[in-house]
Amino acid sequence: MRKLLLTLMLATGLHAFAGGYRVALQGARMLGMAHAGTAVYSGPETVFFNPSGMVYTTGNYQLAFGANFVISHVKYQNAETLATAQTQNPVGTPFYVYATYKASDNLYLGVGIYTPFGSTVKWEKDWAGSHLVNNISLKAIYFQLSAAYKINDYFSIAASFISASGSVNFNKNINRFMTDEEGNRTNVELEAKNIPATGYTLAATIRPSNKFTFGLSYRSKVIFKARYGKATFNDRPQYFPEADAFTAELPMPAEFDLGMAWKPAKKITLAFDLNRTYWSVYKSLDIKFNRLGISKLPKNWKDTWTWRIGAEFQINDNIFVRAGYYKDYSPIPETYFSPETPSLDSNNFTFGLGYQTGKLSIDLAFLYVNGKERNASYDYYKEGLSTPKFAGEYVSNAFVPAFGITYKP
Amino acid sequence: MMKKIYILSAIFFGFALVSCEPEFKNPVDTEAKANPGQADFSKYVAVGNSLSAGYMNGTLHKSGQANSFPKLLADRMKEAGGGEFTQPYMDDDTKDIGGMVVGNTVILQPKLIVNAGRGTVERINATPTIQLQPHPGPYNNMGVPGAKIYHYVYNGYGNSQNLLNGTANPYFVRMASNPNASVLEDVLAQQPTFFTLWLGNNDVLWYATSGGDGVNQTGNTDPTTYGPNDLTDPGLFAYIYNQILQALTANGAKGAVATLPDVASVPYMTTVPYNPVPLNDSTASALNNAYAQYNGGLQLALQNGLITQEEASKRTITFHAGKNALVIEDESLTDLSALGLPSIRQTTENDLVVLPAASIIGQPDPLNNNLLMGITSPLADKWVLTETEVAETRAVTAQMNAVIRALAQQYDLALVDMEAAMNELVQGLRLDDNSIYTANYFNGLATMPNLFFSLDGVHPNTKGYVILANKFIDAINEKYGSTLRKYDPGYFDANITILNKN
Repeated sequence: MRKLLLTLMLATGLHAFAGGYRVALQGARMLGMAHAGTAVYSGPETVFFNPSGMVYTTGNYQLAFGANFVISHVKYQNAETLATAQTQNPVGTPFYVYATYKASDNLYLGVGIYTPFGSTVKWEKDWAGSHLVNNISLKAIYFQLSAAYKINDYFSIAASFISASGSVNFNKNINRFMTDEEGNRTNVELEAKNIPATGYTLAATIRPSNKFTFGLSYRSKVIFKARYGKATFNDRPQYFPEADAFTAELPMPAEFDLGMAWKPAKKITLAFDLNRTYWSVYKSLDIKFNRLGISKLPKNWKDTWTWRIGAEFQINDNIFVRAGYYKDYSPIPETYFSPETPSLDSNNFTFGLGYQTGKLSIDLAFLYVNGKERNASYDYYKEGLSTPKFAGEYVSNAFVPAFGITYKP
Repeated sequence: MMKKIYILSAIFFGFALVSCEPEFKNPVDTEAKANPGQADFSKYVAVGNSLSAGYMNGTLHKSGQANSFPKLLADRMKEAGGGEFTQPYMDDDTKDIGGMVVGNTVILQPKLIVNAGRGTVERINATPTIQLQPHPGPYNNMGVPGAKIYHYVYNGYGNSQNLLNGTANPYFVRMASNPNASVLEDVLAQQPTFFTLWLGNNDVLWYATSGGDGVNQTGNTDPTTYGPNDLTDPGLFAYIYNQILQALTANGAKGAVATLPDVASVPYMTTVPYNPVPLNDSTASALNNAYAQYNGGLQLALQNGLITQEEASKRTITFHAGKNALVIEDESLTDLSALGLPSIRQTTENDLVVLPAASIIGQPDPLNNNLLMGITSPLADKWVLTETEVAETRAVTAQMNAVIRALAQQYDLALVDMEAAMNELVQGLRLDDNSIYTANYFNGLATMPNLFFSLDGVHPNTKGYVILANKFIDAINEKYGSTLRKYDPGYFDANITILNKN
């Protein structure tokens, strides 16, 4: 188990196929139901979706873990320049581990490790937009401690503390033209590892009847402040410095989730979720170099809504079938669309299967992300006196098989 | 039961394996052909001078030629039925530094580079490998660096026998099909179906860059009497230009002709200010004392009616604390040598100081180390294109451009208005994508993205040549209804070499 966890952490590479660089893959069971988990009691996964749901835990403790395999593609083209490009993203493997513990009849404790944000985009080196990005790998791991309190049978609340760790590796060409003496394009590799940051969550569950559950969950923003970033210049001409240091700030936005679960029949659960992601916190990506000055890339992102609808049918004592749909919107305004986070509006379809036997349940899920083609540009890149636009069409999709295992002693 | 799980897993993960890539509704066809319109690009020949050759950084070097504007144009023409495009042999430029040698003797200097250690622009410290020996053409790119209009029709311009008397051109010696062919003959031998014609620049440029050291030959139609820095007679220019066009279009070839940019606007002429001499109060008054005798002599000449009040004021030399104008020789001033007064004055903002003057201004005069050039030792005529000379250059350029415009219309050709392009550049040329190019000289790395000119201050760098190619493409597409694609200069390296030491 420990070895598996370690392997997963090393392999983690995520792709921003949800709005922005949010990676909504925090539980295989809920993923089958469109990841609409704010009001559904989903076992230990609830530590992420709505920690106040822990009060519905049966037994003294439960454990769940799982992983996703993200296969994503983004394509770019420009009808005028005839430039085309596509990403060769490595398979991302976001994972999660949750445990819940019943401390008393009213107090429940939980712990979670999960990766709610990240982005791995790897374009062809020196492609038309290489002055904005060659490849980027952004990883955020959240460690969360939660406590839930059951006020009465109808109402419970929870709060959590988040300790997060962020890492970023970002490679882009210095500009659209600089090369070394052999004609190789000069690029900069920006690296900052294990940047600590903290956050919190607040949640509540209201269950007026056995048929209806309402959930509220708020996860605060987490701001990663890279103070000791390392910039390395590759394929540089002889007069250009070899390395520099930088500081930068990357925000993980806050999210507010509103959910409803409805059990119209004993074996049917329907889930509805509305998520508000406060992307407006991402105003500008400012990289302050020690020696080379400041590179400012305005972002000006907008808050977005995501709405989700999911369903679960219990076939027999052992087998559950799930399906869902969610609509995700890009937080990026028309003229701020940069290929380092090529987030498109998307239609998302999910399917899931659960198999439960004795103490163990196994959940499989599959997500298909269909990014809507978009013609957009990034208009704020500066080169001397120039601010040349980088325009074109983008289209993307992603396939995410996932599994999860839950253990209830 | 486990078997069931295996099967289910297989189904799920199978989805992932068959996962396919997203597709655009209208994928671009990267192999798309362009439309030639009414033009026939199958045999394109470039008729011109250094600007067609891809000359930059004070020489023709291999990587400069590789991005010459005719080559860029030909690459786009290939998408519209264009044929092969050959350029003069440059494989012997093994160090990519240009220049030329005869045996071990350097006859043309290698390229200019930025010496970052000293903060200066200088010739690279290396010996050229290009030998003066024939690699007979003809080539599609018939841009001959240094060619004036009358050179183009001169048999013997490629004959090495004529190098000593200055009537042959080492570049054409290398590329001529035979020693006695004229450039025009080598052009016509290729039977071009399409041509670009951009000639005349050197007919005005050399006068300007020599600080007006030559003679204005307006009215003199005999080029055998011209010196290298003279202004060519516009009448002679019109005669030969017409002759060239007549020959080129005789078999129905189409083409594009370009007007001449204002040579007084290139960084070679505009970078050094007229008042580059910083002085403090005490130095200024010491200098004023030194010139008191000369200024007094002017007053004497004025009282005796030898010069006008206007000339006396113009010639009076005064220094003050702050930035000061240069002291220069001006042959157009009234000769007062009988009074022991030299023909000198101070520069005004209408005089243009040439770029190489930057390295001598304020330096000790080699003839008298106690004198400082431009301050106590007047600068010779060749360092400054005076206001009158600027006007002369512009007048001749205007007449030549009038000829080019009229003949473009007469022969029904595309016209590329480089005169207007240069004026745009001086203001800051803004492209559709919001990038800006200026007519400024290189001034540090930060200026690189917006730089049009190379280190010689006269010829474009690669970005500049890309912009020129786009100007030709625009004019050709407009005239002939073709759909040649333009380039984005932003993605081209300027091709300016920066070295830590030289």
